[in-house]
Amino acid sequence: MAESGEEVDVLVQRVVKDLTNAFKKNPNIDEIGVIPCPEARYNRSPIVLVENKLGIESWCVKFLLPYVHNKLLLYRQRKHWLDREALVDITCTLLLLNPDFTTAWNVRKELLECGVLNLEKDLYLGKLALTKFPKSPETWIHRRWVLQQILNQFSAVGCSRKQQHHQGEAEQADAERIQQHSDQLARTLHQEMKVCSDAACRYPSNYNAWSHRIWVLQHMAKGNVKVFHDELSSMRLWVSMHVSDHSGFHYRQFLLKELITEFFQTPASTTTSSPQHHFSTIPRSSPHHHNDVQANGDLSGAEATDGEDKLLSFITVLQLFRQEMELCSDLIQAFPGHETLWSHRRHVFHLWHHLKREHQHHCSSNDCIESVHPNDSDPGLLGDDDQSCPGQGETVNGQSHTSEAMEVDGASLTDLHNSKRQKRGILRPGPLTLFSEHNFIKSILENCSNPEQRHFAMAYKKWLDVVVGQQP
Amino acid sequence: MKLYSLSVLYKGATKANLLKAAYDLSSFSFFQRSSVQEFMTFTSALIVERTSQGTRASVKEQEYLCHVYVRNDNLGAVVIADTEYPQRVCFTLLDKVLEEFSRQVDSIDWPSGNPETINYKSLDIHLSKYQNPREADAMTKVQAELDETKIILHNTMESLLERGEKLDDLVAKSEHLGNQSKAFYKTARKQNSCCEIM
Repeated sequence: MAESGEEVDVLVQRVVKDLTNAFKKNPNIDEIGVIPCPEARYNRSPIVLVENKLGIESWCVKFLLPYVHNKLLLYRQRKHWLDREALVDITCTLLLLNPDFTTAWNVRKELLECGVLNLEKDLYLGKLALTKFPKSPETWIHRRWVLQQILNQFSAVGCSRKQQHHQGEAEQADAERIQQHSDQLARTLHQEMKVCSDAACRYPSNYNAWSHRIWVLQHMAKGNVKVFHDELSSMRLWVSMHVSDHSGFHYRQFLLKELITEFFQTPASTTTSSPQHHFSTIPRSSPHHHNDVQANGDLSGAEATDGEDKLLSFITVLQLFRQEMELCSDLIQAFPGHETLWSHRRHVFHLWHHLKREHQHHCSSNDCIESVHPNDSDPGLLGDDDQSCPGQGETVNGQSHTSEAMEVDGASLTDLHNSKRQKRGILRPGPLTLFSEHNFIKSILENCSNPEQRHFAMAYKKWLDVVVGQQP
Repeated sequence: MKLYSLSVLYKGATKANLLKAAYDLSSFSFFQRSSVQEFMTFTSALIVERTSQGTRASVKEQEYLCHVYVRNDNLGAVVIADTEYPQRVCFTLLDKVLEEFSRQVDSIDWPSGNPETINYKSLDIHLSKYQNPREADAMTKVQAELDETKIILHNTMESLLERGEKLDDLVAKSEHLGNQSKAFYKTARKQNSCCEIM
């Protein structure tokens, strides 16, 4: 197919126009793709639109891509003038075919800054590009830039509100605007989560997508415990269906770490009683809230409640860890021989182990850890527990310190676990100790003939002995 | 963890005859689905043709595993899954489907049947139910009945072929694959061997 330069020129301009028209005709396009088709069919546009899916016939890509690519480069080198509309169309075509072309995203950044494009449109273009190229680093990077612009707009609104704070009438209008913005922010957050999930499903081990998800949480939902909780529970199904994809488990590890930090920063009495209601769905961009509450707590000046709060935090976190370990055990037993699950187990136990030691250190004067432990282990196991885990001797002795309130709390925790266990018909201990881990390994080695599973179980045992067991 | 296709076939003297099939191709990009479906049908038939009576086998092809069971009465079934999906559950599914199929469809219709004429409707239901292996049958129940060591494992499709036979030729010769699917196969091949543009 020897096409002359002029013919290519005409062809490409037609295709770019067809593409732009397709978007005008259907604003709900949700996926792009290339249709394998080695030869052009006479007099038919290579742009195909079916059920919100936009396809480009493969034969035209080899003409289209170099052409728009060169055109944009010439424009950048100031050798060729393009008006704004042409720039929008050309970068759109280019990025849908090759979203890692940084220059094109940069041209769009300029267009955004001078108001020719709007931010939502660029999020949309990125979303489409990710349906064909779910890992494309430049697309994710540009996406974060756009989101940062949106966040800047919001914080600008916040500032103007503060300045007008004393003008009474303006306040209500402002409050409405703030509400609108926070709704919009919540929508954007939800949309980003969806984009990340789709990309993670399209390409295994898509760390680019998960890193973006982490960035979004850190910047758009900072301190919002509810969002983190929801993420943790909504990702359960995802990891259960992707047991050999470590990226999803890595994300859970991030969520756990963030939640730990949150619980120990915030007075626990409020977070434990109603984590769902305490924090509004409006993400806060600064940690001021904590500081205020903590300052108030300090003013009321009860040091004893501080210790109690810590303890409650600890129990909430303990519950998170138990649930995580239970999920992990469950998956390991249901799907033998996946290293990912074992390495997740290692990580969770490691996190827990460190947290416990830190907590022990902090609370050594308050008997905190001691009062938690009786609930932590099945009574029958306590004795053995003591022997196999050096450094936990005091915990058993601490039983006498347990306050009544604690017992109630602990009982409800245990009940929750029991009912869960009964539902699934599996009897598994809830505690998280070296001893319980060794028990788990033992049961795996006794019941499983899968050689890989046995290998991973042995490796985990060795890791526990050498790395964790040796620590003072 | 994903099941892509589930099909029942009759193993004739030289060719396998597709009787009924179900597909879940939602994870593929929209414009690839029709080609992917043709390829799954093609592959399923090929595997049944190359599997002897009374055997179970798993064939690995890139990131897919095709599990096949051909019974002594020449009725066979193939499920195409990803490598994560538990093999044991796949064979449980195949046993169950074949058993149900042979109860519902008269064996006189097997040699000449095709998806339009065969009246057996539960394949789609099975396929969607088994997407989550834990919501399907109790995974442990059948564990003991199935001797996993008797399942033959092929590490590539090529190992099913006879000496001198090439997959590329079979694809090119196939009447069941459309031009678009053949083009799709060529691009996929090319992308595997070296990095082409797009």
